[in-house]
Amino acid sequence: MSNRHVNAVIVGAGAGGGVAAKELSEAGLSVVLMERGDWASYDVHNNDELLSQRTTVLGNAFGPDDERYRRVVVNDDGSTKVVVASENDYNNVAACVGSGTVSYGAMAWRFMREDFRMKTTYGHIEGSTLADWPISYEELEHCYEKAEWEIGVAGDAAQNPFAAPRNKPYPMPPFAYNKEAKILESSMRRLGLHPFPIPMLRNSISYNGRAACVRRRSCCGFACPINAKSGTHNTAIPAALSTGNCELRTNCIVNELVTDGNGRITGISYFDKDERKQVQSADIIIISASATETPRLLLNSKSKHYPNGVGNRYDWVGRNLQGHAYTGAFGLFEDDIFDDVGPGATIAVSDFSHHNPGIVGGGILANEFTRLPYFFTGIRPTGFPKWGKSHKEFQRKYFRKNVQVVGPIQEMPFFDSRVQIDPSVKDYWGIPVVRLSGHRHPKDVKGCEFLSSKAEIILKEAGASYTWQSIGGKGLSGGQHQAGTCRMGDDPRTSVADKYGRVHETPNVFVADASLHVTNGGFNPALTIMALGYWVAGHIAAEWQKGNRFT
Amino acid sequence: MNDGIKLSRKDFLKIAALGAGALSLTTGGLSLFEGCTASRRPGTMFFSEDEIKLTEAIAEQIVPADDWPGGRDAGVANFLDTQLIGSYRRFQQDYQKGLAGLEKSCADKYHRKFEDLAWETQTAILQDMETGRLDGDVWKNGFSEYFFELLRAHCLQGYYGSPRHGGNKNYISYKMIGLDEPQIVGENRSGI
Amino acid sequence: MPIKNIRKSIKIVIIAAAGLLAVFGGFIVYWEAATPQNTCTSCHEIDGPASMWAESGHRSMHCKECHETAFSGGLHSLVEKGMMVVHHFAGSGERIIMLNEVQLAALLTNCKRCHGVEYARWLSGGHSAPYSAIFLNEKHNTAVQPNSDCLRCHGMFYEGTITDLVSPISIKGPWKILDPEQAAMPVIPCFACHEIHRKGSVAARADYSDPKKIYYSTPARSSAALFYDRYDKAHIETGSLPVLKLWEGERPVDVSEDPIQRICVQCHAPNAFHQAGTSDDRTPRGIHEGLSCQSCHEGHSNDPRQSCMNCHPAVSNCGLDVMKMNTTFADKNSPHNIHSMRCLDCHTKGVPKKRA
Repeated sequence: MSNRHVNAVIVGAGAGGGVAAKELSEAGLSVVLMERGDWASYDVHNNDELLSQRTTVLGNAFGPDDERYRRVVVNDDGSTKVVVASENDYNNVAACVGSGTVSYGAMAWRFMREDFRMKTTYGHIEGSTLADWPISYEELEHCYEKAEWEIGVAGDAAQNPFAAPRNKPYPMPPFAYNKEAKILESSMRRLGLHPFPIPMLRNSISYNGRAACVRRRSCCGFACPINAKSGTHNTAIPAALSTGNCELRTNCIVNELVTDGNGRITGISYFDKDERKQVQSADIIIISASATETPRLLLNSKSKHYPNGVGNRYDWVGRNLQGHAYTGAFGLFEDDIFDDVGPGATIAVSDFSHHNPGIVGGGILANEFTRLPYFFTGIRPTGFPKWGKSHKEFQRKYFRKNVQVVGPIQEMPFFDSRVQIDPSVKDYWGIPVVRLSGHRHPKDVKGCEFLSSKAEIILKEAGASYTWQSIGGKGLSGGQHQAGTCRMGDDPRTSVADKYGRVHETPNVFVADASLHVTNGGFNPALTIMALGYWVAGHIAAEWQKGNRFT
Repeated sequence: MNDGIKLSRKDFLKIAALGAGALSLTTGGLSLFEGCTASRRPGTMFFSEDEIKLTEAIAEQIVPADDWPGGRDAGVANFLDTQLIGSYRRFQQDYQKGLAGLEKSCADKYHRKFEDLAWETQTAILQDMETGRLDGDVWKNGFSEYFFELLRAHCLQGYYGSPRHGGNKNYISYKMIGLDEPQIVGENRSGI
Repeated sequence: MPIKNIRKSIKIVIIAAAGLLAVFGGFIVYWEAATPQNTCTSCHEIDGPASMWAESGHRSMHCKECHETAFSGGLHSLVEKGMMVVHHFAGSGERIIMLNEVQLAALLTNCKRCHGVEYARWLSGGHSAPYSAIFLNEKHNTAVQPNSDCLRCHGMFYEGTITDLVSPISIKGPWKILDPEQAAMPVIPCFACHEIHRKGSVAARADYSDPKKIYYSTPARSSAALFYDRYDKAHIETGSLPVLKLWEGERPVDVSEDPIQRICVQCHAPNAFHQAGTSDDRTPRGIHEGLSCQSCHEGHSNDPRQSCMNCHPAVSNCGLDVMKMNTTFADKNSPHNIHSMRCLDCHTKGVPKKRA
């Protein structure tokens, strides 16, 4: 049985792909949306910490699974190890309809103007491929707005004086602070900082037919039992399906792009849910499979015309893998702080996002999502016993009396931090797997030290009886905020895709996920990925309606 | 989301095995119901009786009893036993090798079982394991530190994770830290 | 093929069939007659629940009275028990010995045999509502779309997902229960609050020789009920359930220590900030603060109507007829909502001083 030819095939139904499916199908294009996972269900994976997307010790609740997925990680000494999907080093992104937007913490940050002009703002950074984006904040602004209103964001931008200008407020009022945030708010104000409620892709009031959040503790890392958290799985993708122009194919594993004799990409080949190999031909191919799987697909698509893989003539595919080094501090208090009002993170400051002395970029600082009991066993002052009597006493004494202030540091793109294809290891379907190597830029540790020291000052001011810093920024980057591996740019020799996400070498292959990020901001990237989905697909739809068939 | 009654390959294997099971029921008769539990404690699926005693003693060291129950009474060994035939299948060999190695190290040095040693001695042995100072071939090439970290992490998961995985009996660790479980939180009534 | 050979084949088949029948039949006869210790509970996967059952109030009942045997419960039971054997030998550790929702519903007839009064009371109250009453409620569904968490309190034994149960998942109806047979099933069967295997004593006639003993020999009511958690797939004893902490603004509300109330508040819960009167909180405040749900509500029917007379007019000295007040929480305009009313709600000009 061969598949009907369609206008567009989209690989990956996450933040970028889900949005692209909606935009294109609403514009009248016929679309097939491919997803390696299935619909996620709260009934299957509910409030279980050991299976949550933050603590994946017993498996990834929302995939990928340990049985079929593998990756290879190159250690510092050059040796390699094979890791399964639930291990940290795998750097997993959820494999389900909606991907990470089902189980994320749902912070809804817009990047700032500076984040699109990092090289102009900070100049050349030795050893880094730091560059400006080919698009400005102003160009992307209407896409951010669309994401905020169509997916649904609650917040109050007026309280953040550092936020880039916007045309429209958030569609929903902000969330009330929990006790932790209230304590931090007064401390931050005394220090002259500018605290504000974190914008969230979560309903503070009933919105678009979905319920308002009830503030369970199991939120970040979990699916929402009442559908109050907004992701592409309960907004953009259902909207795409309801047009009648979009078909969603779940449990389908795309293995390569199909090239004809003239070097034109004519579609994709994939294994369907019964493990049969199929081909889907399309006029346009959009890859939105995450910053590790998107380059894998391009690199695995080798042919006469693309001997190094599609888009890889100048060896930039898979380069500049970035994520976010999380960094901050902990404080212990005399009184109970924990009020069990989920998901915990409610307050932030953006005072340290940019223009910090001696630091390139920076990051927001926020109170952390609820530290669940097993997660908390890993939180101890430096040098404290990791087991035994005192470890247990600490758990009992401080579970309700601790505050964590953390933030993601803007990482410096590093050419040798990269995604490659492993020459020998293959996954369940026989597809060569991702091989991760490299490490962060030394500047990142500097940024982390700076941000952590600020976090500690806030905690001390809040009255913590004991504080300590946890400083990130070492080792391989990636994680769930992975980005940068198919950078967009105007020069085909130093980027993979153009300003509209179109892969330079091919007229009809687009990327629509965080792979495009030139730099990754000092913010959680989900809203920016959604905005890029609107940006790339909006361009395609407009061109299509003008008669451009991308030949 | 319901695909009707299409059988997957896994289902097919299950039904085939069911047929085999039914056959052995009728032909093998009642021998099936005797002797399954000979070397194992009732309810355990992976560990032998010796292994479970050892594991309990280790779990008690990782999370010792004080005013609140320790790893032994919280069912941490049961958690491990359950996971080792589930999510932690890939660690089966590590456990068999590591537990046997620990037995041997104790027998060689103290001529006694780990669980029969004094509390302080047990602690010292585990500290040696944590820092790679145990004698014996089995502990070479970093296995000592690796296996200790495995034990430590898994015991803490058993004690502080959800009871549905076999540990944290009677929600004991949640009670200890004052965590409401199940959380008491109602839905928004939206005027209903 | 020669006729002789065909006859021979037939003969072999008949003998084989007869042999098989004899073995199989013998096995069934033995299985049906033997005690659980020699059959079901000799399997170590069943150890846990079986040893609980051995100390339970239901210990005189055979396993099969509820669980059926592989051969008495139809295809479902055969597959279920067969899979237990498969999992046993596969060592997969999957603990699948659990009655499904259809079996549980059928079991209510068993419960009724001895607990007829409780059953009748349950049937007369709100907790016996069927799926159709809960999930097709237009007032609810137009305000909040049906979601997974509904099943935590309404349909805790439902085996599918919310999308399997009701369609569409939206605030625009019309909604329907996808499986018509499901529509009439009760969302809160006995097992929502009771666990058959729970420790208890077999019912026995009280000792009338010493009337004083009758009261004390009745086990404490709190031990009879538990809460079934859909996510843990287990019953939680009241002693392990959290105690509600409730605030009215900054003021802590006095909440009854009745263990049974810990079950009630699992579903009749305030918001995450634990503010009194939010979400579905009905914890008594005002003049009734500190009373337990059970002070007024009968356990199975939840009917509170008889309860006012237990205390009034004895404890009220104002002469008002409490039986004529509109006390329901459901009427938003009622000044006499029994859960929150204060003295000032009636004595609008100030509470009179106590008579000497």
